[in-house]
Amino acid sequence: MEFEFDKDQLMFQQLVRRTVAKIQALPEDKLWATYLELGWLEAPPIELAIVLEELGYAADPTPFLATATWFTPLAGRLPRSSGTGVCDGTGRFVLDADRADEVAILTKDGVVVVDGADFAAERVSIFDPTLHVAHVARPDLVAGIPDLALMGLAVSTVGSCRRILDLVVTHVKQRVQFGKPVGSFQAVKHKAADMYVAIERAKALAYFAALTLAEEDPRGHRASVMAKAAAGECQRLVFQHGLQLFGAMGFTWENELQVHLKRAKAGDLLLGTASVHRRALLA
Amino acid sequence: MRLTDDPAVEEFRAEFSAYLDANLPSEAEALPRPKSSADIPEWARRWQRTLFEAGWLLPANPPEYGGRNASLQQQFAHLEELSRRRIYHSFNPQGLGIIAASLLSFGTAEQKRRWAVPILRAEITAALGMSEPGAGSDLAGLRTRAVLSEAGDHFVVNGQKVWTSGAHDADVLLTFVRTDPDAPKHQGISVLLIPTDTEGVVRRPFGSIAAEDDLDFNEVFFTDVVVPRENLVGPLHEGWKVANGSLGHERTMLWLSYAERLEDLLGDAPSEEEWYATLMMDVQALKLLGYRQLAGQRPDVEVSMLKLLGSEAVQNASLHALEEQGLESLVHPASTAPYNHMNNENFSASWFERYVRTFAGTIAGGTSEIQRNIVAERILGLPR
Repeated sequence: MEFEFDKDQLMFQQLVRRTVAKIQALPEDKLWATYLELGWLEAPPIELAIVLEELGYAADPTPFLATATWFTPLAGRLPRSSGTGVCDGTGRFVLDADRADEVAILTKDGVVVVDGADFAAERVSIFDPTLHVAHVARPDLVAGIPDLALMGLAVSTVGSCRRILDLVVTHVKQRVQFGKPVGSFQAVKHKAADMYVAIERAKALAYFAALTLAEEDPRGHRASVMAKAAAGECQRLVFQHGLQLFGAMGFTWENELQVHLKRAKAGDLLLGTASVHRRALLA
Repeated sequence: MRLTDDPAVEEFRAEFSAYLDANLPSEAEALPRPKSSADIPEWARRWQRTLFEAGWLLPANPPEYGGRNASLQQQFAHLEELSRRRIYHSFNPQGLGIIAASLLSFGTAEQKRRWAVPILRAEITAALGMSEPGAGSDLAGLRTRAVLSEAGDHFVVNGQKVWTSGAHDADVLLTFVRTDPDAPKHQGISVLLIPTDTEGVVRRPFGSIAAEDDLDFNEVFFTDVVVPRENLVGPLHEGWKVANGSLGHERTMLWLSYAERLEDLLGDAPSEEEWYATLMMDVQALKLLGYRQLAGQRPDVEVSMLKLLGSEAVQNASLHALEEQGLESLVHPASTAPYNHMNNENFSASWFERYVRTFAGTIAGGTSEIQRNIVAERILGLPR
């Protein structure tokens, strides 16, 4: 067993971090072109998880998550360009369903892949300004969420949570009250410490899922369900403490905290909350 | 990252498993039970010595210290095998996991021979004298005083320790004392091995919340206790380094024990409620994070996170188990797991007792509050 990244994976992580930091201000189509060029869609599960964590950290606006972890495992191939998948049996709140080039749909007769141009999906306005979701109306949908999709949402949510904690830590070091940085107060420290522990726990389970999927280990399914449940538990605490510790400044539209809070919350709600997956583990 | 163990690990596991099948003491042999964390019944002393000699006690150690230079993965397989069979690693856990470990890190060759090896071989037992009435979380505020004689050949110790688990049954105390009262509090601390039969050492055990006759905690009083200089562990006045090493060993021992307790809970409190799924995740996450830590791939300070995560997970799950059993949890004494003569009865006691004992986890070895401070200050970099 080896639960830490090897040298190549560490180098890859550094590269992804640098790249994402450098290009994150680019318009969406340029971002997308860069991801394709770098071959990130073809990354195997662990490397894909590394990419998804960083894209979660950056609140990536492209259809990368849906393409890599919803379309690809359902269709069994990469899409022409972007893609998504309908796999939860309801067709509601499907990532990028109204803008993907191809859509893989899990129906009672198996997976059907349709061209995005010929596909009717109705975009839904949601709280999260960076997330694109739409409803799909079809009578023959069945549920069969790919493990990769659970792992992908989990690790991307971990990325959002890491970003929230980083923003909070920076804030509480700078914000002075009673003549001291508020981060020197134990009430603040203890919440920040709990956020850190929750993130490490969820991250360990998310990468364990990626590892089992990479090695096609029989534990892959349960590991993915655990990863999704743990990411959901993590965001619940990180959202709560994160917004609280930021004080009134985090309650404003201008502060970027809001973007990541909403991403983290959506990451739990999409494809089943922590509670849904805890119950799945017990079944 | 990779999942598979190399074949040498599975061979190792099979060998250890076969060894246990062939050599484990019988239930009849194991009738005398330990009364404290430094009281090892004769049969268990023989067993620990047998493990030591066979290199199965602490397999990562070299043979002279009860091991066989095992790899990390093999060491983990060893722990998993013990935990799976609910075999208590040692009935003097702090002797094995903290005191002998600290001596192997900081002791002289003579101290290793004279104290560490006999502790590992269960010829003697040891207790850890850290906390004092006025120095708990603020350990560096300890006031037990040791004065070096003019000739420099011995110390004279005066003061008091408390919460010293097993002291009344222990042969030796690894004792943290102040040798330089004028230095800043983290400097001027030293560490002494004090045999408990030394004149002037008085031990008074007192009951725990679990039972009036559950005697493990002690007050230990030192009055003009003479300790030879050769019993000084590590350099004079540099005991805080040893303390940090010992606390690190302690937290490692503790999180490993929480991983075992979590596994026990999975087996003993099966439930269809959601908390049980959280427990499954806690077990898995603690093992993943802990393995990484043991592998030396993470900063030492992260062991605080393991201690915090593990102790609170055990506490939460135990509380759920207690609540799910309802009034039955109040019955005392009671057994909530099949009897296992190789294990410590504390881990199969009534649900109320099991729950209440989890507070040892969130209080001893640095409270959860202290661990949170450490995580916030030393990992996240928040100001002191």
